Amino acid sequence: MITALLILHALVGVSLLGAITHQLVSMYRRRAVRSGSFIDRYTGVNPQVFVVAVVSLYVAQVLLGAVIYPAYRLNVRIPFEEMFLFREIGMFEMKEHFAGIGMGLLPLYFWLWRPQLAESHRRDRLVITSILAFIVWWGFLIGHILNNIRGLG
Amino acid sequence: MTLRFGPVSFAIVFCCVYALAFFTNLPLFLYYPLHGDFTWGPQLLKGAGPGMAWYGLMADAGIAALVLAFIVPDRLLDRIFRNYFWLFPCGAMLVCVYMLRQFLLQG
Repeated sequence: MITALLILHALVGVSLLGAITHQLVSMYRRRAVRSGSFIDRYTGVNPQVFVVAVVSLYVAQVLLGAVIYPAYRLNVRIPFEEMFLFREIGMFEMKEHFAGIGMGLLPLYFWLWRPQLAESHRRDRLVITSILAFIVWWGFLIGHILNNIRGLG
Repeated sequence: MTLRFGPVSFAIVFCCVYALAFFTNLPLFLYYPLHGDFTWGPQLLKGAGPGMAWYGLMADAGIAALVLAFIVPDRLLDRIFRNYFWLFPCGAMLVCVYMLRQFLLQG
């Protein structure tokens, strides 16, 4: 059961990573003239359309993480401590705390992406979305690395 | 008078309370996954296995942020912190890194 949830956690993570990265890149690379290249097509989407997907996937991802977190605490962290892998434990703890802080940012993120705030809150929108993207990338990479060291299976 | 949820207040209070609760080691409760036990506050339960503070920290921050998001007017915080909202999550994340330094330096 935990293994199935861990795989689902990874799949939701990939979807979230894709959605927020697509939104972030298209937000940073706004061009009036587009050549039709892959990069232009990739960044040519309306970043607004990702907001609901990012919020839904983020909440689902944190809830799944919260369900499997006790299994990590018992089956992964204790062996890590016995193997003196303290840096890896610290990285994972950072991931959990960052993810929690990201949850607290979601209402603000959703609010900042309202069309009427596009100009007045441009910088906040850019930076809060970047912070969320950083949290998602950090969580994905650290989760992946720890799973490679010791999966839950 | 109608109650309005303030996303700006929620985010700012959430970040501040989360960082403060983590810094002062004051989770609302601890969860012990070995037998599924809970204890209020940061006191460790002997013989219950490792305790987990993250759920308690989330509860601290979530409850405080939810309450204050209906009390503190968003307009006020928006006027003061517009363009600087990012300071709060960045500050909270730095506090977390500082609190976890012993793990990172031991590796």
